[in-house]
Amino acid sequence: MSHHAQLALTRMEEIVGAAHVFTEFAEIASRRVDGISPSVVVRPADTAQISEILRFAASERLAVIPCGGGTKLGIGSPPSHYEIALDLSRLNRVLAYDPKDLTLGVEPGVRMAELARVLAEQKQFLPLAVPFADRATIGGIVAANSSSPLRHAYGAVRDFCLGMEFVTGEGVVAKSGGRVVKNVTGYDLHKLLIGSLGTLAVITRVNFRTFPLPPAQGTFVATFSGAAAAFGFCRAIAHSVLTPQVMEVADPGASHVLFSANTPARIAPRAWSVVISAAGQPEVVDRHGRELGHMSGKAGAEEFFRLEEGEARSVFTGLCEFPRLILDSAPSAAIFRIGIVPTAMGGLLGELATVAGRNRFDLVTLTRASGIIYAAVLPKEGETPVTAAIAKVAQEVFETCGESRIEASAMLEWCPPDVKIAIGGAWGPSRQDFALMKRVKYSFDPKGVLSPGRFSGGI
Amino acid sequence: MQPQIIGELVNLLGPGAVLSHAEDLMLYEYDGSVELGKPECIVFPSTTREVSEIVRLANRYEIPLVGRGAGTGLSGGAIARSGGIMIVFSRMNRILEIDEANLRAVVQPGLVNFDLSRAGEHLNLYFAPDPSSQKACTIGGNVSENSGGPHTLAYGVTANHVTGLELVLPDGEIVRVGGKNIETSGYDLGGLFVGSEGTLGLVTEITVRLMRKPEAVKTLLAVYDTLDDTTETVVDITVRAITPAACEMLDGFTLRAVEDFVHAGFPKDCAAVLLIEVEGLTESVEAQASAITEVCRLHRAREVRVARDQRERDLLWKGRKNAFGALGRLSPMYYVQDGVIPRTRLPETLRRIEEISHKYNLQIGNIFHAGDGNLHPLILFDQRDRAEFGRVVAAGNEIMRQCVDVGGALTGEHGIGMEKNELMPLIFSSDDLEVMARVRAAFNPHGRLNPGKVLPMGKACGEIRVHPIPVATTAPA
Repeated sequence: MSHHAQLALTRMEEIVGAAHVFTEFAEIASRRVDGISPSVVVRPADTAQISEILRFAASERLAVIPCGGGTKLGIGSPPSHYEIALDLSRLNRVLAYDPKDLTLGVEPGVRMAELARVLAEQKQFLPLAVPFADRATIGGIVAANSSSPLRHAYGAVRDFCLGMEFVTGEGVVAKSGGRVVKNVTGYDLHKLLIGSLGTLAVITRVNFRTFPLPPAQGTFVATFSGAAAAFGFCRAIAHSVLTPQVMEVADPGASHVLFSANTPARIAPRAWSVVISAAGQPEVVDRHGRELGHMSGKAGAEEFFRLEEGEARSVFTGLCEFPRLILDSAPSAAIFRIGIVPTAMGGLLGELATVAGRNRFDLVTLTRASGIIYAAVLPKEGETPVTAAIAKVAQEVFETCGESRIEASAMLEWCPPDVKIAIGGAWGPSRQDFALMKRVKYSFDPKGVLSPGRFSGGI
Repeated sequence: MQPQIIGELVNLLGPGAVLSHAEDLMLYEYDGSVELGKPECIVFPSTTREVSEIVRLANRYEIPLVGRGAGTGLSGGAIARSGGIMIVFSRMNRILEIDEANLRAVVQPGLVNFDLSRAGEHLNLYFAPDPSSQKACTIGGNVSENSGGPHTLAYGVTANHVTGLELVLPDGEIVRVGGKNIETSGYDLGGLFVGSEGTLGLVTEITVRLMRKPEAVKTLLAVYDTLDDTTETVVDITVRAITPAACEMLDGFTLRAVEDFVHAGFPKDCAAVLLIEVEGLTESVEAQASAITEVCRLHRAREVRVARDQRERDLLWKGRKNAFGALGRLSPMYYVQDGVIPRTRLPETLRRIEEISHKYNLQIGNIFHAGDGNLHPLILFDQRDRAEFGRVVAAGNEIMRQCVDVGGALTGEHGIGMEKNELMPLIFSSDDLEVMARVRAAFNPHGRLNPGKVLPMGKACGEIRVHPIPVATTAPA
């Protein structure tokens, strides 16, 4: 161990106590980011310790990557360097929960699954039905702005996060927003932290509004022979008075992933499926069933049916865990997350299929009808593609999304690290507002010690 | 202002787009708040390019700048606190596109809020944020202030409805953030900009979500004999997780003034009313309306009335949205507060406001967004009585302190502006404010854009604190 590393280790032990500093191989390996290992894993107890760690890191220019359940460390570009893994799992308390006011304040290390249990006792929930739900923590979900099928009805983190406390790259403990459901006091700095992948500050508290669990729910599936009819059905729903909670379009590959677990016979092998759930009073759910059935017929559906409760749960879990299910079966998959307007979805999927096909890859897609496509580019069965081949197809996906008539905003959320290196990161071509982002980064983290290199444009 | 600068502005924009005579400047020295500040020159650009050129010119001469829409703001956001050039967006008021299929509209900042909903009407679409000033206020102003309104209870504030912005930065650069997509990779700069009160950049184009009109609407009026029963009803509606589209409270004092003015049939002898609206599918509206009626009765509502038709509904809302104006019948001036509290603390807070009213011997009316805990206490006064105005300010601060003490915030929708910037330390530590100041400096390094707003003015910054002189206010959200 170098003198420098020894100094860092000693200082970390002084701050958090030797029992919470780890250098063993297993610990280091579990916090690896894109193949790069930290020198040390530190588990602080509280905000004050995090502040001290960051002050030290800033003075020594040591790179710090915050982490929780470790489920999303693969997201983003490879870090330019990485010395300290800041493990937030000890900050795992629910700090304030006022079910009568429907507001909540939690530490970043709280696991989503545990929080969901706490809220369910009060018949409430947070609309964050995200991947890796069993292990994912609130801090990671917020920092990665994890996507949830419930976004259709409830919006994303930015829409129901009320405020945050955080520690900047210089160790300054600060907060923005508050705990009340309506608030314009001061700059909404917390909105910048959502999706910032730990590049601006370490989140130490997040305040949310919570939502009542609906009295009844129903999940419906319509199947179609092609994408055009499936998206036509979604458009008809979006322009009706119906108020679905979830509306997702699975291509044949994704349908297979969603439905094969329980009911292999329910979906024809080449079918596109549209999964819709409705919630509210039982009469509201029933009405959705009736009208969706009618509308799906008009849209040319091959089949329309309501899922049994167990089946609905399994399909919903599949929607939430889509990236994970793909990665489980194809670890070298490149999974893009693409923001796009509804009218451009069908067209883009067609072009992406062409791109994948001419590069001899498979394409599997799941589309959140409100505006997000998950597009997974996978090796064909039995083939093990070389990095250069995946990199080429990934590059072409970025180019296709960037064409001005589509104006989709793509990021490569999951892929092997060497592919990211080959294509210069996970973010695609630099955006026009990049200079502004760099200024924002500098104002939070002037020494560049927080997750350096992981964000767009090498931030 | 130097004639040379005015000459350059005239060359840039044409003589009809620049005002600099004293009598013209006077008209732009106030907004809907109790603050004043006179600009030295007023310009009316027609394009983003012109806005950028104005900003570059101001930088060359190191002159402050402030953007302004309709000037309906309630915290002094659009007041030229340090003089300089005021950029008024009234000529950039077009709807550039209504994208029905994707439920988006692209608009210029000077467009009046209500005009967008009116333009969407034939498609059954509307823009959800509905400040009470929506027939006058502009969408650019809504973006700057992150405006709310009664229906934000169910649909969220302006920030929840903006997906893209075109900005002119304080150095004159034109930048786009976001677009029509619901998400764009990179930091959520749009999320930071909405509600930044015109201190980070000038907004020159806005992409917003449009919403489909609900199938059914029901408007209920619940009448109470005590204030406590009214506030307890609001707490109970929240606890039972019923989410009406709007839940507004008017106390008896303001109600009497309103009724004399709009003749909506509000009972004049009650302690308070709740105006509650439920929207959605017919089935859901029925279920919610009966659940709400039950809660109201449980808390001894004397009467729960359901508006029979659109005309009755409009009349009830007219009473609510014109309530501030109606109070002008009782007093020459009023000072409106905008504190927010956790909804469970409503009963004790309203009792506290009543005590404060007695303590300072002032009339305080309450008309507010009860459902999300956003209070609007209106303190009535006569500006000719200087001693009384001192009590008004003291009472206002005491109400604000109460909101902070129960875990609330200084402003729910009116903004900090130059009215509450010195109160920011009640909520934020010096470190919090320092980080905010740094982020502001990342955009606005010389502090030339909208100086003296949002953050407390440090002793070192050389700006002169203008003492607030009360003027009559217009209708807030």
